Amino acid sequence: MQSANDISVRPHWLRVVLIGRRPKATLIRIAVLVVACFVTFKFILLPIRIEGISMQPTFRDGQINCVNRLAYFRHEPQRGDIVSVRLAGPSISYMKRIIGLPGEKVSFHEGHAFINGRLLDEPYVKFACDWEHEPIACGPTQYYVVGDNRSMPFNDHKQGRAERDHIIGKSIL
Amino acid sequence: MKIIFRAVFITVAAAAVFWLWTILFPSPEKLVLKKISQLAATATFTGNDGNLTRAAKVSNFIGFFSTDAEITIDAPELGVHTLSGRDEIREAAARGFTGLAALNVQFLDVGVRIGPGKQTAEVSCTARVNGNDKKDYGVQEMRFQLKKIDGDWLITRAETVKTLS
Repeated sequence: MQSANDISVRPHWLRVVLIGRRPKATLIRIAVLVVACFVTFKFILLPIRIEGISMQPTFRDGQINCVNRLAYFRHEPQRGDIVSVRLAGPSISYMKRIIGLPGEKVSFHEGHAFINGRLLDEPYVKFACDWEHEPIACGPTQYYVVGDNRSMPFNDHKQGRAERDHIIGKSIL
Repeated sequence: MKIIFRAVFITVAAAAVFWLWTILFPSPEKLVLKKISQLAATATFTGNDGNLTRAAKVSNFIGFFSTDAEITIDAPELGVHTLSGRDEIREAAARGFTGLAALNVQFLDVGVRIGPGKQTAEVSCTARVNGNDKKDYGVQEMRFQLKKIDGDWLITRAETVKTLS
């Protein structure tokens, strides 16, 4: 049985739902969460929405993804990595796969990618392709990036050499 | 208590003076940013805008460029086009303003670098353009060079930048 005093001390259920039994602790939790979210999404993860079909079937149009900005903190981008290549800033970027590394020559013959004249194994390319292109040499700070959907004409597909400082990070999903 | 009140008052007054100073005497970066923002607003028009509005917009659009301005566009769908001088830019702008039902231009991630002497500026940005009220849009990295001519920042050179070469 509860006394009248107990009932007067107990906070209203709505207040408990909104700010908890200990408002100070709730405030600290909110502050920590806000700071954690700010640091995470400002410096570590970049949330993005993929638009377009150039990375199909790996990514579909409208899919939500995240880019890890710290992925290349300790090592340089690798072949096969799906990376985000910024334009003037991070608001809009290209999501592409690295197939050519600095100093390599990338060419296409009968729809297959060749690196320095050697056929590149690309299990992620699922659609038929007929691309033909002369070797393109990557500079010492350049990576050749291309989408996984090679079913579109070569000139309609955004691809090419991206400067290292334009690569924001690696796709997480 | 009096000291605290005075300290707060002085801080607020100093902030207000600083704010007023930036409004009255904006930095070159701010002026250039404003110019680029105005350029995007001028280049944007909707299907509701009549011929008179569009003609006025063409005239305003030309006002952003110096008399010897040069625009170089290198896009896969269009090839390489260079417009030299205000007359060529006016003609191309007039064609664009009358040929399209609507156009929405935005400049994102605008970065401004003021040159030595504060008489020139270089701007890099991403242009996001969609025309004819379509949902699809095009993006293009852009670079502008501006020069302070008769107290006004005018574009002397505008060019597309190939993000993937």
